[in-house]
Amino acid sequence: MMPRRPAHNLEVAETLREALANLRAQGRRSALALLGILIGTASIVAMLNIGHIAQLETSKLFSHLGADMVQLRAMPTGAAPAALDRELIEQLPARDPDVAWSLPLATGRAQVAFGSQRHDMLIVAITPALPRLAGLHLERGRSIAAIDQCAMVAVAGAEAATQLSSPGNQLMPTGKVAIGDYVYSVIGTLRPSFAEALSPGDYNKALLIPLDCARRVLGSSAPTTAMVRLRPGADAEKAGARLSGMLANASSSIEVISARQLIKTMNEQKAVHTSMLAAIGGISLLVGGIGVMNVMLMSVMERRSEIGLRAAIGATPRDLQLMFTVEAGVLALAGGVAGTLIGVLIAWIMAQYSGWTFDLAFYVLPLGSGMAAIVGLVFGLYPAITAARLHPIEALRAD
Amino acid sequence: MLRLNHVQKAYGTPEQPIPVLHDISIDVADGEFCAILGPSGSGKSTLLNIIGVLDHPDAGEIELGGVPIDFGSATEAARLRNQLLGFVFQSFQLLPRLTAWENVALPLLYRGTPRPERKPRALAMLDRLGLGERVHHLPAELSGGQRQRVALARALIGDPKLVLADEPTGSLDSVTAAEVLQLLRQLNRDFGVTLLMVTHDRGLAEACDRSIEILDGRVVSDVRRDG
Ligand SMILES: Nc1ncnc2c1ncn2[C@@H]1O[C@H](COP(=O)(O)OP(=O)(O)OP(=O)(O)O)[C@@H](O)[C@H]1O
Ligand SMILES: [Mg+2]
Repeated sequence: MMPRRPAHNLEVAETLREALANLRAQGRRSALALLGILIGTASIVAMLNIGHIAQLETSKLFSHLGADMVQLRAMPTGAAPAALDRELIEQLPARDPDVAWSLPLATGRAQVAFGSQRHDMLIVAITPALPRLAGLHLERGRSIAAIDQCAMVAVAGAEAATQLSSPGNQLMPTGKVAIGDYVYSVIGTLRPSFAEALSPGDYNKALLIPLDCARRVLGSSAPTTAMVRLRPGADAEKAGARLSGMLANASSSIEVISARQLIKTMNEQKAVHTSMLAAIGGISLLVGGIGVMNVMLMSVMERRSEIGLRAAIGATPRDLQLMFTVEAGVLALAGGVAGTLIGVLIAWIMAQYSGWTFDLAFYVLPLGSGMAAIVGLVFGLYPAITAARLHPIEALRAD
Repeated sequence: MLRLNHVQKAYGTPEQPIPVLHDISIDVADGEFCAILGPSGSGKSTLLNIIGVLDHPDAGEIELGGVPIDFGSATEAARLRNQLLGFVFQSFQLLPRLTAWENVALPLLYRGTPRPERKPRALAMLDRLGLGERVHHLPAELSGGQRQRVALARALIGDPKLVLADEPTGSLDSVTAAEVLQLLRQLNRDFGVTLLMVTHDRGLAEACDRSIEILDGRVVSDVRRDG
């Protein structure tokens, strides 16, 4: 006699349309419930995206030198200046099985003059292999080569070159710069490079000169730093201790900085931030969920006669439950979408502020909205069940 | 069409039941327009709610179209109301957010009728009830009589076997009440729908095929008139 039909027969589109109309009718109260979800989603999305950006930045810090870098720096033990044995540093790959390569270098500062410009600048005294291993690229001219030996040649970092140039007097190869009391020939200029964590200094702002005869400018031709690349899988801590033992001498003790150690410290700091933000986000989402539950419960109580009428004309308990569940889900989803956008915006602002390159972690888009929708569905369940269980007569009598 | 067999209903607690309906047995024929009369508190609404499968009896059984009603499942009850019954309430019970035609189409929504089919059917029904000009109005923009006509259209749109009206004219002035009654009478004839109307007003009951009077949960008189 009666055609069989499923326990509920509202199409999804139909239910969504109803939900949107109902929420619009609720107006300001819906907006308030939305706010909690929005804040929760925004903080979680911002946190995840900032984490993603920080990860990229961290990996950039080690992109050329790699995570297997160790820097051994000489610290003076007494009045005499710290100095390392250059030959010993260059022999490290042969002496220690964990060492892939090892470069001696020295850094210091000196007065540099070019034309009318005169500046106190970072001087890095290097051996020919360094530019290639540190990922430095030439803009013009050539780099320091083995044949230069003790020659008075210099390569200028990008910023240093700009700083020394004046209108009509561009610093470029074959130009002469005075470094301290000596005149050096500029043989090349560098392209801008990214300052990595284990660089002995920012190459952009430095003049590079040969380590041989660096004494003229730095007071000594002895290296003060060894840049050591370990073989993959080597234990940075043990190797660092061993190499320190080999390099230490009467005038210098050794300070070891390893890339692994730096990464570990950064990750620990990040973990603290991440778990703090996650806690804030989680709590806001929870509060938002309770807000949704509250709004939906009030809505169910206010719309009792509507529920009674719908039941009288044929809405099944499932239909009613679905109606309120979808309303809660749509409410939370709207908060989630807005929160996701705001979270990405926050990440973008923080990236600008920290001088990081913004990069969108695409997975946060579905994750943020989905999480919010799930919170809405979970917290909307109880009000929806309440609606479905209302007795039609009691509900109809409500007004 | 409708048969009530020794229907009983009590409110209150199981220890202290307050009987509302004592042993009610009624037969209503197909196409009958039947008034239910009685003083306040006599159990008229309770009876109508049980017939409307909105409430369940404590004892006795009810047959609708020859099939005994299963009061056990809320889902089944909802289906039954949707397929076989139409309701008219004293307070109209129109959803204020929806326009006249959307209110009228609501029962079809729960029947799974696709949207493009619902609108023309609702418009046609409103047109039949003389509200063709008001289909896009919200309930607040309609007079009491017009609202009750929208409610009537909603009760009729699903082509029900039985329409239950609990004091449909209770919140209308006497002129409008007479008009609505006239309309009910006409629909009863035109659609051949069986009508059960609860009323306080003996004058209105006179216009029906039959008046059943209830007092303290018992049928005390049952009068048929020849139309
Ligand atoms: N849910 C309920 N719980 C307890 N008592 C109820 C309930 N519903 C109705 N009653 C009682 O049952 C009796 C009959 O109520 P009912 O609403 O059926 O009367 P009625 O004939 O429709 O009256 P009226 O003309 O005033 O509408 C009344 O005494 C009422 O107080
Ligand atoms: Mg009543």
